[in-house]
Amino acid sequence: MPRLHLGTWAESTVNWLTHHFSWLFDAISSVVNHMYNGVEWVLGGPSPLLMAGILALVAFWLRGVLAGVLSFAGFALIDSIAQWDQAMQSLSLVVVSAAVAVVLAVPLGIWAARSRSASMLVRPVLDVMQTLPAFVYLIPAIIFFSLGTVPAVIATIVFAMPVGVRMTELGIRQVDAELVEAADAFGTSPLKTLLRVQLPLALPTVMAGVNQVIMLALSMVVIGGMVGAAGLGATVFGAISQVNIGLGFEGGVAVVILAIYLDRVTGALGDQVSPLGRRALARMRASAHGLSFAHYRPRPVVGLSAVVTLALVACGTGVFSGSPSSPTASGGPGHGQAVHIGDFDWDESVASANLWQQVLSDRGYKATVNTYDPGAAYTGLASGSLDYVTDTWLPTTHAAYIKQYGKNFTDLGSWYGHTSLEIAVPSYVKDVHSMADLKGRAGEFGGRIVGIEPGAGEMKLLQSKVLPGYGLDKEYQLVASSTAGMLAELKRDYAAEKPVAVVLWSPHWAYSTYQLTKLTDPKGLWGASDSIHTEANRSSAARLPHVTSWMRKFHMTEAQLGSLEAAIQAAGQGHVTQGVKAWLAKNPGVENAMAPVVAGSGSGPGSGKN
Amino acid sequence: MTKLAAEHVFKIFGRRPKEGVRRLQEGADRDRLREDGTTAAVIDASFTVQEGEIFVIMGLSGSGKSTLLRMLNGLLEPTSGRVLFDGQDLTALSAKALRDMRSRKISMVFQHFALFPHRSVLENAAYGLEVQGVPRAEREKRAAEALDLVGLDGWGPHWPDELSGGMQQRVGLARALATDADLLLMDESFSALDPLIRRDMQDQLLDLQQRLRKTIVFITHDLNEAMRLGDRIAVMRDGRIVQIGAAADILSHPADDYVAGFVQDVDRSRVLTAASIMERPRVIVSTDDQPDAVVRALRTDKASAAFVVSPAPALRLVGTVTEAQAAAAADGEGTVGELMRAATVTAQPDAPLADLLAPASRSDLPLPVVDGDGRLAGVVPQLRLLAALGDRPTPADRADRSDGSDTAGRADQSIREEAASA
Repeated sequence: MPRLHLGTWAESTVNWLTHHFSWLFDAISSVVNHMYNGVEWVLGGPSPLLMAGILALVAFWLRGVLAGVLSFAGFALIDSIAQWDQAMQSLSLVVVSAAVAVVLAVPLGIWAARSRSASMLVRPVLDVMQTLPAFVYLIPAIIFFSLGTVPAVIATIVFAMPVGVRMTELGIRQVDAELVEAADAFGTSPLKTLLRVQLPLALPTVMAGVNQVIMLALSMVVIGGMVGAAGLGATVFGAISQVNIGLGFEGGVAVVILAIYLDRVTGALGDQVSPLGRRALARMRASAHGLSFAHYRPRPVVGLSAVVTLALVACGTGVFSGSPSSPTASGGPGHGQAVHIGDFDWDESVASANLWQQVLSDRGYKATVNTYDPGAAYTGLASGSLDYVTDTWLPTTHAAYIKQYGKNFTDLGSWYGHTSLEIAVPSYVKDVHSMADLKGRAGEFGGRIVGIEPGAGEMKLLQSKVLPGYGLDKEYQLVASSTAGMLAELKRDYAAEKPVAVVLWSPHWAYSTYQLTKLTDPKGLWGASDSIHTEANRSSAARLPHVTSWMRKFHMTEAQLGSLEAAIQAAGQGHVTQGVKAWLAKNPGVENAMAPVVAGSGSGPGSGKN
Repeated sequence: MTKLAAEHVFKIFGRRPKEGVRRLQEGADRDRLREDGTTAAVIDASFTVQEGEIFVIMGLSGSGKSTLLRMLNGLLEPTSGRVLFDGQDLTALSAKALRDMRSRKISMVFQHFALFPHRSVLENAAYGLEVQGVPRAEREKRAAEALDLVGLDGWGPHWPDELSGGMQQRVGLARALATDADLLLMDESFSALDPLIRRDMQDQLLDLQQRLRKTIVFITHDLNEAMRLGDRIAVMRDGRIVQIGAAADILSHPADDYVAGFVQDVDRSRVLTAASIMERPRVIVSTDDQPDAVVRALRTDKASAAFVVSPAPALRLVGTVTEAQAAAAADGEGTVGELMRAATVTAQPDAPLADLLAPASRSDLPLPVVDGDGRLAGVVPQLRLLAALGDRPTPADRADRSDGSDTAGRADQSIREEAASA
């Protein structure tokens, strides 16, 4: 069979689109950003309990007393597990994505319902949208729309919209043909038939579609977290990569509360807006006697005005309380210039990026750190939506990204040279210190070595070179899973003091959390170790000469990095900045060494330039 | 006055419908077309509907009657042929003009009621007016009047699903009547109702028709319903109209074996009327005539009695005189008027045969049939009455049809004439 270069074509299409339609993507990006910011300002602005009250009131209005009380309790719970801001960010993401998806889906569904050829045209497109793995279009989405909320919104729309189209089409097609004929027989025009007969009767199905759109949008929140969208997704994604079960659970609970709330409220909204639903409700209420207060629901006017009043109060307080954590531009050597640093959920990555963020903020820059999947981060760095990525392992681990995007990067050199790839076992496993010691002990380790992502360079190296080199390839099976899966397995077995061999690398926080033995490599099969480089976007490197020159000179020892990571761990999840500050306080010379300031002058050092 | 006319209407579904029409006109039959994936739903249908008439199109399912009905208001466009409403060719109208026509002039009642479940009874009845753009207050008033008309006053605020089937169809009828359309198309409108309710609805329709004098095209597969409602009936089979005529006509003179088979189970005594079987009386004499003239006339015609009518121009039936009575007075003075027996037992022309049995049994003479002015329209001899009730007419009977009724032959002939002139 001839090899079809479908992938190449797709890639060049993406490049061509980037080249010729960047104005369009920028426009979309700006619109979506404004929508998101607007909604987020409304939802996240007021104090949590007030907002919880508004949301509970909506539930009370649409579903009744019990729903209102439970909603308030649910949102209060979210606030009390410190996930409020994230929950509101996620809710905003869902609201924006679902709104856009519904606005696109309903007309498409109507079109598909009215024209057989349109239906045939739309259906395969919907199939692709629904089944194409999100990551496949997530990376192009980053290329088009840069990192952050926008690609998450776009990906969510792509994923959630099809069900809206399908349900709208189904709903309209399901309307009794005799009713449509009756409308026609009385001379109703096609448009009025749609508005007076088809849509009102299809509305329950359409609203079920809207409900599903919202639920699917919520299910994309975690994936959104991987491309830098703020919210519960980021919490959960971060917690998963660090096997932080507690935080993951809290984030998950918040997602579930949001999901149940949105499901019930939109479900009830469906009953309220459709004439048939109202009819059914009225009948149900007529038959339900006793316990009348439980069935009490404010009339629409009362309910709506209550919500509006509370919302106005909320807006008032929201304007004044603002968001205290939002960074404000200030003076200083950096003159408030924005610096975007990307990191991965790896300890040294978080540590170095946040260290720089703290130092640069002290120097007057408006520095931000966001966490991404590596693919997303390098794509963002290439497009200029990120300025620096501090955790690039070269020449091996991240070589593929450099090959792909290297022409857009400026390499700022290595700041850490002691990395290594290895297999690690818990220290309680006696007499295993080198790879050679594993031989003949497969029974003890269950005949397997717990690996990470099958695509990782380390896995390939281990499978093809290291295991055969020590004659272990017949004895042990290398189990591919994921980094999070590997760490979870390690945690489980470590707690049970079971022998386990895992694929690991240094530096890694697992070494400070558990007593582990790095297996030595007497034959040197792992090859030369990587060192950690800082990569800058080429134009950012020129635009931020001081930062670039400071980063070129940056260096950390193993002890420094270890203590910094430990300080961050000690500060606890969500308090990275405090951890970094504490560490800087204990290591007073470091900040000046990293970013030397010319005394007395308000500007950065001219001597820093190469 | 002709309200609606169909002229050589064809409706062909499938690929290349026009070619289907051509092939049918060249004599290909329906089954041949079906083998090629083309369905001929209506083939060469021509008829006229008079103003104020109930015209029933009857046929079994698949005979094309519903398709034909939908071409009468433009819901379907004929593949070939014309539909004239008030002389206006519907096929020539733009889509918008056609919609306007449907909203004002032609309304429709459906088999399964087709009430909008998201509208109250009043809103349903007002639907047609809403489409016309009548202001709310007026349309609600007129819709309420229409509901009154069908006996649903006070049900306006209810929902369709709270009503029984018969009541729902009354709402459907009210919706059709509210627009004050001239033409009412009723598509198997009573078929979904149970028999007793169906009979009530038929009575109500006939009653409304007495008052409103709409032009109604009524579709049904139920022959008894067709006979009960229809001023004239068109029988359809396999897309073609096989016979058009009044009920009695179709019953007595079916056009072919199919129609004959169809009508054989009908209760003839309730469908056939005196008018449909009556004969011309053999001897009619005036009250002024001399008895000897009567005797001569009776002997010439070999009749046993003569019917006596009042002198021209009234010509009302006043009595009967037998040959014996006339012979007894033949040599004496006096007129027929003095020796006749007064006619007490008569029948109306529209009386069903079932109602003739008792009167006919009370006399040896043929039963006289008199019209509304008391004029002698014809007579029903007892033997003929018995024969009509027991008759299983075959198409061959058409040759020796009787006089005095609007026969199928005439209706067919008029169609043929129209066809020739079109």
